[in-house]
Amino acid sequence: MPVIVMASPKGGVGKSTCAVLLASEFARMGAEVTALDCDPNKSLTRWASHGLPKGVTLHSDVGRSEIVTTIKNADGDGKIVVVDLEGVASQLVSRAISQADLVIVPMQPTALDAEIGSEALALVREEEEALSRPIRHAVVLTKTSAAVKSRVQTELENQLRGAGIDIIEPSLVARAAFSELFAHGGDLTSMLNDPEIVTGGKVDKALLNATAFTEAVYERLK
Amino acid sequence: MSVSNRLAGLTARPKNTSPVEVRKVDDVGEARGFVDRTPRKKPGRKPSPRTHQLHPKVFPEVGEAIAAEAERLGITQGQLIEQMWEHYEATR
Repeated sequence: MPVIVMASPKGGVGKSTCAVLLASEFARMGAEVTALDCDPNKSLTRWASHGLPKGVTLHSDVGRSEIVTTIKNADGDGKIVVVDLEGVASQLVSRAISQADLVIVPMQPTALDAEIGSEALALVREEEEALSRPIRHAVVLTKTSAAVKSRVQTELENQLRGAGIDIIEPSLVARAAFSELFAHGGDLTSMLNDPEIVTGGKVDKALLNATAFTEAVYERLK
Repeated sequence: MSVSNRLAGLTARPKNTSPVEVRKVDDVGEARGFVDRTPRKKPGRKPSPRTHQLHPKVFPEVGEAIAAEAERLGITQGQLIEQMWEHYEATR
């Protein structure tokens, strides 16, 4: 089953949020998901400490020397591997990309994110050349506005499409539920169904967004 | 089609994980600034576990006397100290 890698040398772009949403949504679809937390900030480990959704297994502290074998060991029939990487330009990132079936580069719709994120896209293309095999990759815009698409976002999308880069639609909207998931653990449905959990946003809208995003990723894995 | 059947159609492409291939990936990454950023361990020898032994320099004359006596008896200093300890225990 496929290996999905979240990569961007910039921190705070939404790599861990994408990883958590994909892991929990694919598990809800019935997949056995192995999530690898390779980020020294341990965002996925913090999320897991509050309870993992059924079907998700987490491996923490995966470093440069173990990444290739850990992915290889986690990969198997009926399993999806989701890798959350550190937000720096490191060998750990380049090695993880080499084992990916899909590399997702999250980017906020800002010039800075686009500039730094493009380093990851360039690296994927160079690895494709060196390994003589295609590595599917796509950008997802994160923390976008639910109400209006900014001019910067439209321009960025046009530039990326013009460069032949695949953009995952829908983008991930800035939702409080996405960030609060790390404080509650589990998945968005558990958050939605638990009356004890009070969030600052609309969990149902967040769930719809996450489901549509996961479907779009699924289409790229087929 | 059930949800799980949809996922069953997903497959992973085979990947080469040989050291040669990993080296190739490292080279490509390094050329773009994706270098090894594994935190380095503290250099140097780790401190030995404490034995609470007195250093021979603390009582140099005593150390020299023990060494001379052990040599005269044809035993090691450790054996001599063991004998001394037995004697001390017996007379306590």
